[in-house]
Amino acid sequence: MKTIAIDVLLALGVLITLLSVLGMWRMRDPYQRMHFISPPASLSPACFTAAIFLQNGLKPEAFKALVTLFVLVGMNTAVTHAAARALRIAETKDWNPPPDEEVPIHSEDELVMPEQKQ
Amino acid sequence: MNVWELAAEVMIFALVPLTWMAIRGDVRQRLVAFFMAGVVITLLMMLLTMAFNRMPMMDLALALALMSFGGGIVFAQFLARYLE
Repeated sequence: MKTIAIDVLLALGVLITLLSVLGMWRMRDPYQRMHFISPPASLSPACFTAAIFLQNGLKPEAFKALVTLFVLVGMNTAVTHAAARALRIAETKDWNPPPDEEVPIHSEDELVMPEQKQ
Repeated sequence: MNVWELAAEVMIFALVPLTWMAIRGDVRQRLVAFFMAGVVITLLMMLLTMAFNRMPMMDLALALALMSFGGGIVFAQFLARYLE
């Protein structure tokens, strides 16, 4: 039973990674491609860490895999935001939208114009 | 061949599209492919550690995850400041 669970977790982790890479490959622009980093950085290491815990039990390498999982999850959010911000600045020279740019917002959101920024 | 080794060998094929994007894409696509490659290689290190039963190698996966974070931030800042 444990062996089957390990096999399933490994297959799931590898499948998530391969599908995410293929999805990233097929997308048009970098902003769309960035969304596909999340599954391999969160779900796949979670599957692998669970498989390592099942295989080895409460050993140091399993806890190192757990730390690696936390680092990947935390890193992914920060690096994806930093990359999207960098791409935006490289394209438009400013992080804030220019006055003539239409920014899609919800009807209940407060409208903040770039000129009102402190 | 155990199941960890098999998973690692299948996982290596995830690097092929990333290499293609890094070779053929513009600088923005290369940056995103670089981020993804860091994550995939970190996962690969975890699998190879278990496949070869060399448990201290798990430190390499952890170190690579941390260094990918720093490298990604630096590359993003470089892109924002100097590249168009």
